[in-house]
Amino acid sequence: MGIFSATHRALAKEALDCVFRRVTFRPCNTGFKEKIKNRIIGRLLNRSIFLARITNKHFEVFSWVFFILMIGSTFWVVKGGYNYYIYGSCNGLNQSGFCAFDPKGENNKVTDINQQCGVEEKTEKNVTLENIDLSTFPTKNIGSKNTVVLIGCYECDYTRKAYSDIQKLVREKKTNYIFAHYPAKENTNFLSEIGYCVYKDYGDRFWAFNDYLFTVDKVEIYQSEYINTILRNFDFDVKKVNDCAQNPEIKKLVNDQITQLRKTHLYGTPTVFINGKGLVGPKPYRVYKSMLNKFILF
Amino acid sequence: MEKIQHDFPILSKEIKGKKIVYFDNACMSLKPRQVIEAMDEYYYEYPACAGRSHHKLGEIVTQKVKEARISIARFINANENEIIFTRNTTEGINLLANSFDFKAGDIVLATDKEHNSNLVPWQALVKKKGIKHQIIKSKEDGTFDLDSYNENINGVKLVAMVLTSNLDGTTIPAKEIIRTAHEHGALVFLDAAQGVAHQKVDVKDLDVDFLAFSGHKMLGPTGTGVFYAKHDLLETLEPFMVGGNTVEYSTYTDYKMLKAPEKFEAGLQDYAGIIGLVEAAKYIEIIGYDKIKEQELKLNSYITDVLRKWPKIKIIGPVDPALRSGVISFYIDGVDMHKFALMLDEMANVMIRSGQHCVHSWFNDKKIFNSARVSLYFYNTLDEADIFLKNLELILKIL
Repeated sequence: MGIFSATHRALAKEALDCVFRRVTFRPCNTGFKEKIKNRIIGRLLNRSIFLARITNKHFEVFSWVFFILMIGSTFWVVKGGYNYYIYGSCNGLNQSGFCAFDPKGENNKVTDINQQCGVEEKTEKNVTLENIDLSTFPTKNIGSKNTVVLIGCYECDYTRKAYSDIQKLVREKKTNYIFAHYPAKENTNFLSEIGYCVYKDYGDRFWAFNDYLFTVDKVEIYQSEYINTILRNFDFDVKKVNDCAQNPEIKKLVNDQITQLRKTHLYGTPTVFINGKGLVGPKPYRVYKSMLNKFILF
Repeated sequence: MEKIQHDFPILSKEIKGKKIVYFDNACMSLKPRQVIEAMDEYYYEYPACAGRSHHKLGEIVTQKVKEARISIARFINANENEIIFTRNTTEGINLLANSFDFKAGDIVLATDKEHNSNLVPWQALVKKKGIKHQIIKSKEDGTFDLDSYNENINGVKLVAMVLTSNLDGTTIPAKEIIRTAHEHGALVFLDAAQGVAHQKVDVKDLDVDFLAFSGHKMLGPTGTGVFYAKHDLLETLEPFMVGGNTVEYSTYTDYKMLKAPEKFEAGLQDYAGIIGLVEAAKYIEIIGYDKIKEQELKLNSYITDVLRKWPKIKIIGPVDPALRSGVISFYIDGVDMHKFALMLDEMANVMIRSGQHCVHSWFNDKKIFNSARVSLYFYNTLDEADIFLKNLELILKIL
């Protein structure tokens, strides 16, 4: 309690002094043990003489049990804090169990790939990039020693939340960057082909278009008429892009892309791979950044 | 009783939903609102210096302090020029110990139940000036051993004794002790810290030479006390603390002291406290010592009767509660009595003292670890005594 409460800090200090003396085989010299013991027993006496008697008799044993529990819980608190800082979850990378620092699990929420946009939490899957062919997806900064892969959905809130952080990471760290659209919602299925065709025909101009799709109001990307306006605004040849998108070969290629993405075992968007390590859900920027750090403890 | 309790604001407050049961009056008495308001009045209406400043506020404070000295003098039947305001009894005793012209070999005689405040200053003089400090042991029942005293009074310079013990509440036969001392050429100092709050102290009737008491044990503010000395003796004492307001004038090389009592009151005084102390004395006079004694005895008898039914419990001092003022000090062999104080506080806001009550010497001599002390005052009630006893019984069940 003393760690979190200013009013109990003096008590915590006294307790720690007492504990330190006891573990170094010296008596507690502050009277703390007697004070606490008798106040606890006093309180118990108001409820149950039996409990008070047992506590009075075995207080030393109970104290050691609580001490061991305290050491254990301290270890888990420190580990939880470390995990939260590094992975955005107290329980480790992509672990969606309860975390006091992120009680609503915001850092692990994903848009389920088989359902409507939602907040359902999934258990961890072994998401991986092994044996996945990403060669047909939009790529930039080729040749960098670090690689960031974002699998996301234009229409999904959690991808949108993570998107700006991923762009910032790519911009600041100059990482190799691959973007893969996974339409978790059916409204924007057609954008996979559109995106592919823009990248194929216009190269790096695709990225500004991509940024726009992630930042514009979602209703503007639900219908192809709106997309045509956007394409026009970006000075792309609307007819050419649409013809390309309707091409059966392109459709097959995009389908192959989706098949490749499914092989990653992803279960929601966004899923980000940083140097092969998968992060599911929108993590804080520091987490993405720390993934580039080679000195992570565990 | 309800009206009296209403005068003490703290008694109407609750801690964790329970009223407090305050049985630690030998350490500190509670304060009635009259005392608190009098002190507030000083700070709100005339927060200035006394005896120095001649502006309107200064004049008011000077007059209030003058009146306070007269009131306190009347309270113990002294003359106003025999009253010195101090911070507490301890300061009064130190004033005497350091101002009196002791020589090596002078004997100071004390009881075996002196508070450290009336023990250590004399022990310090043993080391500093080579005086002798001698102890009169109490009788088996804890009362004063007059025979032993009479046998040891010869050659004594000063009898310095506690009037009423904070350990067990016993009161020494002061008048007889003083008469015998004077017959043998000895002077007498009484530590009346536990005295004036519970019994009428008439310095003229007692013929005591020196006396000290504290304000905080008699409903007054903390940091207030009084040292009394017969005026002719006061003039023979050399102030051990000098400075502002103790001199008529000073030059770069010399000074001329004021007369007593001013020469003993160095520096700015606690005027608010002094004014509050007067209100405390007035409150006690209004209640009356007869009523105070009656209530204390009623409660002490009630609690003592129950405690005596529990064979484990040993009461320090005489069995008869009438001889123990409002104090019931008790212990159980082999048990740390801090337990009781802590548990009672936690269980029912019953506030008692535990430990050696600054009478370490007695506990060390008797080889008793410590005791729990209930000390009562006139605002305590039988209902409170019942709460104390009920919870004490619960504690005894788990030991």
